[in-house]
Amino acid sequence: MSYTYDSIASLHKAIPPFSPYIPVALLPYIAFILLTATFALAFYFSTLPKTAVPLREVAVASTASVLGGFGVVALFCSMGVYV
Amino acid sequence: MLGPWRSSVSFFFLAIAPFVSAGHSFENTAIVRTVELGGTVVHVTTTYAVKALEDGSNIYTIALGQKEHEATSALTAKIKGQMAPLEVEKLGAQDGDFQLYDIRLPGYLKAGGTTNLVVETVQTHVTYPYPEEASQKDGQSLKYEADLLVLSPYDTAVQRTKIRSPFPQIHSYTEPNVEFTEDAPVTKSGATLTYGPYKNVFPSANKHFVAEKQQRIYVHYSYDHPVLEIVKLERAAEISHWGANLNIQDNIHLRNAGPRLKGHFSRLEHQSQAFFQRSAPHMLPGLTLHLPAGIRDVYFYDLIGNVSTSQLRTAPSVPKGSQNTQFSVLELKPRYPLMGGWNYSFTLGWDSPLADSAGWDQDLGKWIVGVPVMTVIPGTVIDEEELKIILPEGATEVEFFAPFPALNDELSTAVTYLDTTGRPAVTLRYKNLTDTHAGIVYVAYKVPFSAHLKKPLAVATALTGLFVLAFVWKRVDTRIQK
Repeated sequence: MSYTYDSIASLHKAIPPFSPYIPVALLPYIAFILLTATFALAFYFSTLPKTAVPLREVAVASTASVLGGFGVVALFCSMGVYV
Repeated sequence: MLGPWRSSVSFFFLAIAPFVSAGHSFENTAIVRTVELGGTVVHVTTTYAVKALEDGSNIYTIALGQKEHEATSALTAKIKGQMAPLEVEKLGAQDGDFQLYDIRLPGYLKAGGTTNLVVETVQTHVTYPYPEEASQKDGQSLKYEADLLVLSPYDTAVQRTKIRSPFPQIHSYTEPNVEFTEDAPVTKSGATLTYGPYKNVFPSANKHFVAEKQQRIYVHYSYDHPVLEIVKLERAAEISHWGANLNIQDNIHLRNAGPRLKGHFSRLEHQSQAFFQRSAPHMLPGLTLHLPAGIRDVYFYDLIGNVSTSQLRTAPSVPKGSQNTQFSVLELKPRYPLMGGWNYSFTLGWDSPLADSAGWDQDLGKWIVGVPVMTVIPGTVIDEEELKIILPEGATEVEFFAPFPALNDELSTAVTYLDTTGRPAVTLRYKNLTDTHAGIVYVAYKVPFSAHLKKPLAVATALTGLFVLAFVWKRVDTRIQK
């Protein structure tokens, strides 16, 4: 599409402002909750017995990883490193 | 992908089209050039009182001397009394003696019709400190050089040049021999010099005139503010969608372009000057910067470390795109006072909410962000600037719109925290920017939802790696003796 500078400037003024999927004010609390859960699950993972089909271990590890992933990103943002 | 540029003030070359001699369809009844002297930046306003000699004339040509053209960093043309800028076209090279510009008037003039055209130019690096060295106690004086006569491809009935100095003392000025006047070629009244009126100047935009009749004039005036120059400005704007944040970081290489310090720097002299409040005019103790409203977490450091001699008063956030009357004021003091010829490089950065600068366009499906080109330090020229706008990871269909053409632009990849594939970055390079260039660059980009998840999934993958390591470790027998 071809926009001129002036039309983009007025478009920029008119459109609704940016809003994130997760409100920024909640990020520190989300980071804390998710990282606590990750830590708890990691500890639980370390207590699991060895089995032939490691179903429980895989389930716990993947949940902990995903929660940890979101938790670390939220942690970075609350610490001021806006990733 | 290059974005379209402002069409109302655009410079493009007509290298192929021959220069049609539109020269004789106008006549100048009067030309008045007013020069406002400054430090590194000089503002020149030229008013042409134009009379059309033919029906249907609407392209008026102005000429700038070669040295003047090289020093000009911004040129706008308007009809006197109106706000809308006119379209200006730079014509191809004219043997290196002068440069022609075509201005499209808003309407067609009939034969005998008149109009007043105001051309405002900003010149940089046209002054130099003279004497070139000054001790801590001395004053500061600058010399300004210019061409005596305003060139024009048309006949000029009368022209004059007024040079205004901001401070009352003018030490000396050229008194030329000019054949276009019977009276004194130059008069002085307070802090204003008037060269003219020069009558009946024939069409001067040609090599012969420039060689025979054109002269250089010099004005030597005192200037009691520090003369500043930013040798290089590297500005990085980083956009974060997870943190809803826009971080702007300026790496500034500041230089005091005043007279070089003669002798050594005496701290005793400096302190006594500060105590008795009679500081040398060429010494820069500190700067006051006007930063955007709504900023937080401002940092100011240099090569040695954090610089704590600063004071910040923030202004609350203003909605996106609104006319900004409020600024956050930062008074910063470099680690040492800047004497003439000294440099100081520092980094200044801040965070601001992304909602103040970016918005979401539902129709295009894109986010549009506006990043200011520079932080204005009044009366200062930026010799070189590199503006880098770093978009979120996975941004696609990037389009940018700059308020004035850049020297060059490129799209590259920047890698920072928690990145896997890297972030697209738009880099624009500029030269000789002044306060008149304080515009906003708009960038439109798309980020699919899956791209937002890249970061958490990258961290999750790293954690999974650790869990796999633990899994394997549990099953490996590491005992030395069974």
